[in-house]
Amino acid sequence: MINDEYFLAALRLASGNDPIPGHVSAAARDVFELRVPRAVTAMPAEGATARGVRGADGPRTVRFVAAGLTFDLEVTVGDGLIDVVGQVFPTPCEGSHVDVRTPHLTLTRSLADSGQFAATGLPPGWLSVVCHRPGQEPVQTRWVRVRP
Amino acid sequence: MQDPRDPAELLSAAADGDQLAWDELESRFGPRMWAVARACGLNEADAADAVQGAWLRLLEHLHSIREPALVGAWLATTTRREAILLVRKTPPAAGFELGDAPDPASAVLEADGNRLLWQTVSALQEPCRTLLHLVATDLGSRQMALRLGVPVGSVGPTRARCLEKLRTLISLQETVQ
Repeated sequence: MINDEYFLAALRLASGNDPIPGHVSAAARDVFELRVPRAVTAMPAEGATARGVRGADGPRTVRFVAAGLTFDLEVTVGDGLIDVVGQVFPTPCEGSHVDVRTPHLTLTRSLADSGQFAATGLPPGWLSVVCHRPGQEPVQTRWVRVRP
Repeated sequence: MQDPRDPAELLSAAADGDQLAWDELESRFGPRMWAVARACGLNEADAADAVQGAWLRLLEHLHSIREPALVGAWLATTTRREAILLVRKTPPAAGFELGDAPDPASAVLEADGNRLLWQTVSALQEPCRTLLHLVATDLGSRQMALRLGVPVGSVGPTRARCLEKLRTLISLQETVQ
């Protein structure tokens, strides 16, 4: 595959005509605050619609799998905001919770006995869910982009 | 003053929670990531999204980058992948973006390579020399055609030919060095 983009990027970079905006650099630095030490990353299950989730056709279900824990996320985009309904299984022990995260907003939810949770009114863009279980390493889903 | 640590050291420090190391990685590689996203044809909002996505991927891979010294190339490659995914109309199958190896072609973005690149562009004959300068200034095809005195329809093919010449010359120089 011919990667002209790298040559074009090098030319653009050297020309200095389109420098990286300050807010883009600041957002990149802020990403570090989203680091979850010792977290295991759950990857999209084969065949799942794991990226570029779109809302036009109604809710999309995305499955993420890590050793010992699976996430099913149902993502809906409406009125420019994201609603997430999810379930983790096997059902984590009592005292577990999830963080539903975007780069600018984290909503913490206790898990029901069934392992289910819901978070509404999130801004579109990058999304990840982290499951915290007492005495175990946290498990985070891979970041996915949710677009209106 | 620039942080004296090399990219592998910065990556290792960031993995251990050093925000300053992460910031330094951003200082060094953020500009080229932006250039890659924009070179993929993204507008500013989408380019910002792609660049942020690439940093999120690095966060996921802080402990698993196979060649830490090449983290800059890895970030450029990942930015390109994220940009291509944004350009696509339909979501790809899972696994498309899971490759972990830096794209060798991204080496042209290294700092010394940029100097070499412009020297090589300046040595090209017309219309390539002017065209590649215009490409770098983000002119649209219509304006480029006007400046070059060629039909609009020939800008794309000419650009491809000029980039091919550039690629060949750069490859030859790298072989000689």
